[in-house]
Amino acid sequence: MSQIITLDQLKKTLAEKQAQGVDIIAPVLRGELAFFQHVDDLEKAALTPRVRFQNSIKEFFFPRHETIFSFVRQGSDVQLTDAPEFERQQIVVGARPCDAASLPILDPLFAWDYQDRFFQQRRANTTVVSFACKETDGHCFCTAVGGAPDGTAGADAILFELGDGSFEVRCLTDKGKALFAGKTSESDKTGAACEPPKIDFEIKPIADWIRNNFSSPVWEEVSLRCVGCGACAFVCPTCHCFDIVDEGSYSKGKRVKNWDSCQTALFTLHASGHNPRGTQGKRQRQRMMHKFVIYPDKFDFNLCTGCGACSRSCGVMFGVRPCLEALAQAASSSEN
Amino acid sequence: MENIYKPDPMEVVEVRQQTADVKLVRIKFRDPEKNANFKFNIGQFGLYSVFGVGESTFNICCSNSKDYIEFCFRKTGRVTERLWDVEPGDTIGFRGPFGNSYPMDAWEGKNLVFVAGGIAMPPIRCAIQYALENREKYGKITIVYGARTVGDLVCKDELDEWAQAPNVVVLKTVDVAPPEGTPWNGRVDFVPTVLKDAGITGENTVALVVGPPIMIKLSLPILVDAGLKDEDIFTSLENRMKCGLGKCGRCNCGSVYVCKEGPVFTQADIKKMPDDF
Repeated sequence: MSQIITLDQLKKTLAEKQAQGVDIIAPVLRGELAFFQHVDDLEKAALTPRVRFQNSIKEFFFPRHETIFSFVRQGSDVQLTDAPEFERQQIVVGARPCDAASLPILDPLFAWDYQDRFFQQRRANTTVVSFACKETDGHCFCTAVGGAPDGTAGADAILFELGDGSFEVRCLTDKGKALFAGKTSESDKTGAACEPPKIDFEIKPIADWIRNNFSSPVWEEVSLRCVGCGACAFVCPTCHCFDIVDEGSYSKGKRVKNWDSCQTALFTLHASGHNPRGTQGKRQRQRMMHKFVIYPDKFDFNLCTGCGACSRSCGVMFGVRPCLEALAQAASSSEN
Repeated sequence: MENIYKPDPMEVVEVRQQTADVKLVRIKFRDPEKNANFKFNIGQFGLYSVFGVGESTFNICCSNSKDYIEFCFRKTGRVTERLWDVEPGDTIGFRGPFGNSYPMDAWEGKNLVFVAGGIAMPPIRCAIQYALENREKYGKITIVYGARTVGDLVCKDELDEWAQAPNVVVLKTVDVAPPEGTPWNGRVDFVPTVLKDAGITGENTVALVVGPPIMIKLSLPILVDAGLKDEDIFTSLENRMKCGLGKCGRCNCGSVYVCKEGPVFTQADIKKMPDDF
């Protein structure tokens, strides 16, 4: 037997939580574009599986702009005020499995010897409900990095749309069980995700090639079309590089953590003018190395869920999958 | 939960101008308890902030026997332009200590060779101070230090003090001869040339080499010819950093994070790393 919930009951369940002070984050349509955002009125939430989102759920764990502390200068002394701890509870509903999968990937980074409370408190206080995929597109490649249209990594519950206004609910964690306890009914209907995306490359040989071809001219060649805008990093659910900057004046202001991208020259520019990654090829190499060599070396995860958001958003039709395909070609031609 | 990105307010105790664009700053924690309990290892670094302007990364350039921290900076960017104006009594921020350190314990009983170029003296100064404070633990100490001109040498007074210590040789040099009449008791040559003339022997010797890439590149073969192994030649790398904690994602050379697994590396370590610095 399976557990099912109707769309109305799902909205009611979320509304009850909302009434208890829990923040609800769900897909909302603006025209044809879907965004994850805080919703006040659950009737505005577009609760159906979809492939394309304008943002990932990352920003509800790792905001694009976050105050670390504020300061006031008082004579020669400076008073610092810590940013408040994150004490709210939140539910993210409608995440793609490849979005949810980014969370366990990011956990070890933010706990690497130094505990980043900004990520960790949000992570602890959030319940993630994902929707199994009903379709894939040419950008999807989750299966290449261990994911699947019904992947459960990072989710507290996964819902399968049944096509009759209801979902099959599979609770995966205590948080998921707590959310849906008493809200579902038994049924003999079971849901299924769509077919996995078709991929004609494997990560392992490409990662090996990346590791052994640091100085290859291929890096500059594949990056010729990249304009270095950084959009790929901002839509990526796993890209987590950030900048720390001060805002305000000398007498009063705050220090903030902002999303950053390894695709801009300024990212690694030294004060001396020297830049270890002075060309787009070197920066693309860093991006791919970070995802498929460095992060696996450090934390045993690819820093990629195969969601395809990068190439969907890329103005020049580049992104991780096109780059992997180009590197696969380089890898196979270097074998021959 | 602790906020790992929040610095401690520090009181500026002393500022000593070293060159036209380099200053050495001594700071103490405003919180006396923190100041008393603060510990670091020689070679570690910190992030120093001017509130409202930003943070920059510098080595802690004094030995760890003091009740203060010192750092040295060159006025070259947004933060250091503003840092230039700090005076005793002012408050700046400090986060640290971060990174690994020089293996001062493992170096005991060995001869030490310090090779520095220009603004790279401060990250070596901490090790020199420590070695001289524990003089009996180390063998012969050779310090080779060069800069472009006499005016670009930092820690000039200390160089002469260090030379007075037993079994210490200080060889200072400048690339460009000072104008006639300028007092100068050092050489006019490049650092590697002076290092070669120092007659280093590889036996029971370790070297710490920090400076511009060209100086390091040309000094290494001299040390290798003298018999030093790659494992005995140390350096301190720098890369642009923001967090200092292995999270912000920019200071890595391949899979090695300079902020966490460095900044101190041996030549053997560096040979294994991709050329990403």
